Amino acid sequence: MLLLILVCLPFLAGIIAYALGVGNPRARDIFSPLAALAEFGLAIYLCTLVWSGAEVSWSAAICGMGLRLQADGFRVLWVAAAAFAWACSSAIAPEYLAHGGHQGRYQLFTFITLGGVMGVFLSADLFTVFVFFEIMSLASWVWVAHEDDKKASYAADTYLAVAVIGGLTLLMGLFLLNHTAGTLMIAELRQACAAHAGQLELYAAGALLLLGFGAKAGMFPLHFWLPMAHPVAPAPASALLSGVLTKCGIFGILVIAAGLFPEDLRWGEVVLGLGTVTMVLGALLAIFAVDLKRTLACSSVSQIGFILVGCALLSLLGEEHGLAAAGTQLHMLNHLLIKTTLFLSAGVFAMNRHTLDLNKLRGAGRNSPLVLKLAFLMGALSVAGIPMTSGYVSKTLLHEGIVEYIAHAEHLAGIALVPLHMVEWLFLLSGGMTLAYMTKLFYLLFLAKPQNQTPRLKMGLPAALSIAAPALVLLVLGLTPHQTMDRLAGKGMLLDGLTAPVHVVQYLSLQNLKGAAVSISVGIILFVLIIWKCLMRDGVLKNAWPTWMDLECRFYRPVVMQMLPAALGCICRMFDYLTDSLIAALRMTVLRSARMKQKPLTRFGLANNLGALLDRHARRKGQQRRSFIFSLAQWEEQTILTSRLIGASMSFGLLMFCIGLTLILVYLLI
Amino acid sequence: MILLPVLLPLAAGLVLLLIRPIGESRTARMVLVPAALVLTVTANLYLASQPDVSLLLWQLAPEMPIYFHLDNLTRLFSLLTSGIWCIAGVFSLQYMQHEGGERRFFCVYLLVLAILMGLDYAGSLITFYVFYELVTLSSFLLVIHSGTHEAIMAGLKYLFYSVAGAFMALFGVFFLYSTTSDLVFTPGGVLPASFIPGERERLLIALALLMLGFSAKAGMFPLHGWLPAAHPVAPAPASAVLSGIITKSGVLALIRVLYYIAGVDFLRGTWVQYAYLSLTLITVLMGSMMAYYEPVLKKRLAYSTVSQVSYVLFGIGLMTPVGLAGALCHVLFHATIKCGLFLAAGAFIYQTGRTKVADLRGVGKNMPVTVWSFALCSLALVGIPPASGFVSKWLLATGALDAGVGVWGYLGPVILLVSALLTAGYLFPVVSRGFFPGEGYESGITCREAPGLMIVPVVLLAVLAILLGIFHTPYNKLLTAVLGGLF
Repeated sequence: MLLLILVCLPFLAGIIAYALGVGNPRARDIFSPLAALAEFGLAIYLCTLVWSGAEVSWSAAICGMGLRLQADGFRVLWVAAAAFAWACSSAIAPEYLAHGGHQGRYQLFTFITLGGVMGVFLSADLFTVFVFFEIMSLASWVWVAHEDDKKASYAADTYLAVAVIGGLTLLMGLFLLNHTAGTLMIAELRQACAAHAGQLELYAAGALLLLGFGAKAGMFPLHFWLPMAHPVAPAPASALLSGVLTKCGIFGILVIAAGLFPEDLRWGEVVLGLGTVTMVLGALLAIFAVDLKRTLACSSVSQIGFILVGCALLSLLGEEHGLAAAGTQLHMLNHLLIKTTLFLSAGVFAMNRHTLDLNKLRGAGRNSPLVLKLAFLMGALSVAGIPMTSGYVSKTLLHEGIVEYIAHAEHLAGIALVPLHMVEWLFLLSGGMTLAYMTKLFYLLFLAKPQNQTPRLKMGLPAALSIAAPALVLLVLGLTPHQTMDRLAGKGMLLDGLTAPVHVVQYLSLQNLKGAAVSISVGIILFVLIIWKCLMRDGVLKNAWPTWMDLECRFYRPVVMQMLPAALGCICRMFDYLTDSLIAALRMTVLRSARMKQKPLTRFGLANNLGALLDRHARRKGQQRRSFIFSLAQWEEQTILTSRLIGASMSFGLLMFCIGLTLILVYLLI
Repeated sequence: MILLPVLLPLAAGLVLLLIRPIGESRTARMVLVPAALVLTVTANLYLASQPDVSLLLWQLAPEMPIYFHLDNLTRLFSLLTSGIWCIAGVFSLQYMQHEGGERRFFCVYLLVLAILMGLDYAGSLITFYVFYELVTLSSFLLVIHSGTHEAIMAGLKYLFYSVAGAFMALFGVFFLYSTTSDLVFTPGGVLPASFIPGERERLLIALALLMLGFSAKAGMFPLHGWLPAAHPVAPAPASAVLSGIITKSGVLALIRVLYYIAGVDFLRGTWVQYAYLSLTLITVLMGSMMAYYEPVLKKRLAYSTVSQVSYVLFGIGLMTPVGLAGALCHVLFHATIKCGLFLAAGAFIYQTGRTKVADLRGVGKNMPVTVWSFALCSLALVGIPPASGFVSKWLLATGALDAGVGVWGYLGPVILLVSALLTAGYLFPVVSRGFFPGEGYESGITCREAPGLMIVPVVLLAVLAILLGIFHTPYNKLLTAVLGGLF
């Protein structure tokens, strides 16, 4: 029952917020953060219940196949984390949106999305996941469309297309999985799929599910919507899009990894490849971005890549996946907290300066509250994986996982080690790139001198709190990894089928610090060589990313939106006209009705033929006007009359006479 | 008693037709029409709670009885038909003021309902055929209501296609008649188990003709051409019931033929089934694709009907319990949703006079409730959970995969999903551009929300479209009862 309340409360809160806002906007602005906080309180209560060993589940025979909710360690952790992010976001939202209007709509859909997210994380089977996933996916579209300008509506169209296509791909995957495994219960999947390991149908189902969930997570090659949609949404919403909604996709991918392909090397390698590309590409895009929120969004893509590498390791490492599981899960949590902090901070810049262009925001943060500076620094350090932060811990665990798999692969025949070493180096390189672009952001926002004196950045108390809270959590997690983070990733807090690490990792050991040192030095070199020397040579950040390298513009829009429908449409149109044209053909040939044949105007041959032709054309165009035959006949009659007059005239006779004379002369001369 | 649902609307319609003062007075119509509609629903509800009954009305010829029978399928279809008819009827009380010719419209509207009731309650193929032809003739009047050249041409097209289909079916009936003279609907079929082996092919051809002929009314390729022409020219409430309900009489015909005359065991695995499945899938894809490229809203919805009704036909053709359950669910949902969409389109026309999707940009600001309802119906038709279309799509797809029909089992779900994607492509822009017209766009629409008599039915249908998906207990029992008798 508690689970049902957790899922339903947001829907109810959304409606109440909307209704309140109609009469009294202030009441809504107070109500919505409180409702989100209440949700967070409930989630915490659920955490204490579940972590103390209670079994909580709920099911009902609704929505066709029945909904089943269930709470376990992993799920409640994510429910709490999502509610936390929502509370932070709702606290800052009224202030951020104060000038925009349509706040009621924003709040309504924000709460509906929360309900969807709660449902996704609490689902006991993939059917329920899908139901809530779609609610979440479509309700969040309103965020992207919120600003209603040209950029937003372009991004919103893309977002909607990806959401719908992704959802349907997912659904097809579920159909196949249901057909193959016979169950969609997450807890039973592992056993049910073990019997079908290596079968084509299972791979097809897995691939479709991966595409569906990956589209939401921002996995390459479906990442393109993310750097476009996140920046145009209002900042409180971008924080949630980036921090929480991508994790719903990751949740699904985790379920596939743990349930469908627990020890499948082929699967692991594919995901590892995609994850690595996502990781490097996102970081690369972030280095070249000149927009504050776009940098953060690209950074999200990159971090999702890190998480995907972790998901791949789950399948690759088989039984000994403890480290990778912990790393993946902790990095998910870190990323949520980091992106909440950073996007909400970006929101403060946006609501004061109404721009996200880094060149215009140059030095804007120099004169700002200390909270903002510290929180942004905390987020930046953490995402860059500097030791003593939480990001360092999760990245170290993931790195350990890769190293472990390389060691493991040395004993297995038939696995090429070179690509694996490359993955490890790319992992460290991406870490370095993360540091480079975060340094860029921090330098430009807080250290660089502004071109002209600008007023102090202002923010209210709720906004300050909502930025400080996640940063504080990050700080605590980073300083006490063994007491907090190890526990969060420990026993009983993992998804079904995943296991906790068997031994404790000494995060600050020399071995682990070495990896961080490599990353940091790479980051410094990249910052100095690329960003400082090339991109910011005259103090202005250049937009050096070639515009033609846009996967969406160059490939997806033309192919998916134009070429495919055009080709299909052509075939379908043929089918559509088949019977009608058959009938038309029959009417023109065999079944020509006698009445239809008009008596031809015998005197005017030309008018008859040409007019009939034009008539038919006009009829096809659907224009109803008087027949061409008559107007042409009129014209022809006039022409004949004129020519007859000319023929009968004296001058015509004279002309003929002259011609005749000339001809005779010519003949005589010859 | 069993004829009550037929007689009630018939009587009301005749009163409107014959007593001119009543027909012409708006107040009288405002009382009589809703009263007749509600009474019909009540009569159906009452009959649905009664045990099965039958009635032999009269013999056309010694072996051609006009025979009525009440079974579970009848309960389902009669309740659905009269319910939707009632809702669209309330809408048209207001809408038809804009269109004119109200007396004639309501008279025909009620007569068509009476005939449809007869169709639902028909107990033998002969009776069914009689009413089937009557449905065509009477609904023809709804199509040509506006009396414009375009409407009359479209109406004639409708008439010719339907009559051609019906004659094709009649040809099949003659074939069947030579094998078995007893064409009373019986769950499991009436074909004698011991027919001569050489007769098998002949029977299959007869059944193929029957199926192809009856599917004309359901708008299945290759006899779908009339639907996108005829539905949009009718007045909006008439288009709503034409699309939502009258296409379903083709569906009912196919269920009756497949499950009550032929018996699915006879047809399963034959070329007839595979050819039929292929045709439905072609229609599903073709309808969506054409709708995607159609600029006029009502025409777009009509193409959408072509596609959606073939979802149902596909489910029927699977010949498994899950497939048929999906089909019946989709009958229910599509009737609700499509009626809602057409009525919303009617509200747009009534208030703004605009018919093209592109002209409806920004209409959300003026008519938020209507656009919201349109949005909910769209979500349901695309099949976004937890809205209703999702449930039927799930049943149809899982039914197809488990039906053991080879490549069609895989092709089916893929095409259903591609079609769902296209459905999103042709419905969502109406909503998204309606609410988010883009910066600085002036729609030039000045009207306000439609009057209450129109808005209430639209909202009701939209809410039903969502709720039917979430709570399936109310209709599940009836569905199970229908399926229980057949498998």
